Amino acid sequence: MKPNQKNERRGDPRKKKCAFCEKEVAYIDYKDYPTMKPYIDYFGNIFKRYYSGVCLKHQKMLRTAVERARFMGMMAYRK
Amino acid sequence: MPTLTPVTEEGRIYEFCILYPSDLTQKEESDLIKEIESIIEEVGGKQVAKDSWGKRGLAYTIGGHTEGNFIVYHYEVDPSKVRSVETALSITPKVLRHMIVKPPKGYEVVKYSEKFEMWLKEREKQEERKVREKEEALAKKVADRAKRTVKRTEVKKQEEKPAAQPTDKKKLSEELEKLISEDTLNL
Repeated sequence: MKPNQKNERRGDPRKKKCAFCEKEVAYIDYKDYPTMKPYIDYFGNIFKRYYSGVCLKHQKMLRTAVERARFMGMMAYRK
Repeated sequence: MPTLTPVTEEGRIYEFCILYPSDLTQKEESDLIKEIESIIEEVGGKQVAKDSWGKRGLAYTIGGHTEGNFIVYHYEVDPSKVRSVETALSITPKVLRHMIVKPPKGYEVVKYSEKFEMWLKEREKQEERKVREKEEALAKKVADRAKRTVKRTEVKKQEEKPAAQPTDKKKLSEELEKLISEDTLNL
């Protein structure tokens, strides 16, 4: 298989850009379920930075927000 | 309600999120809310914003409850007295969960109760759209298949016709010859 074929099929994960950086998000709210939802998989785990393309700064914000939401019962620890 | 929260003098804005069970009677509920507010106001808190979310399903059971009511307060409290509020809230019965958060600088108070409902409606619309697109795709598929079958049958007919014609021609020619021969005889 050629090296290009792999990239054509699923896209290069290194080329992804942080969606929060593009909107210049300063704070991710734990009450804001719709923004956090796309970064959570079926089992309630947060996606790795490698797959979602989120930068480290925003990944840390996301983690605190999700953990707070989980504590308040808005989000599942484990499905 | 997008208002910038101003910090005056020694006070600081704190966010209090409280979860209590949804199956309380109206009187119990109002009493509980009064109690919570009095706890914070005893310490000298000034209410900035209040947002009651109403009945909301929980992601997991808390104290045997699968549904609960959320209330989000924004109070201006003296930072040294927040700990006493925290302890008082943890003691109060019927409060399933509580959390005190210090919002960052330039935080805008957003009513998430409305936003969440808007999001739910939008999601419904999107799901409807998806269903419609699926149906359209299916209809297109069926139509294409029908067209293809029609074309195939036409092609088959056309293939059959030229095969039939030569035999006809042969027959015709034979018949004609016969006729001619007969005619000649008759004549």
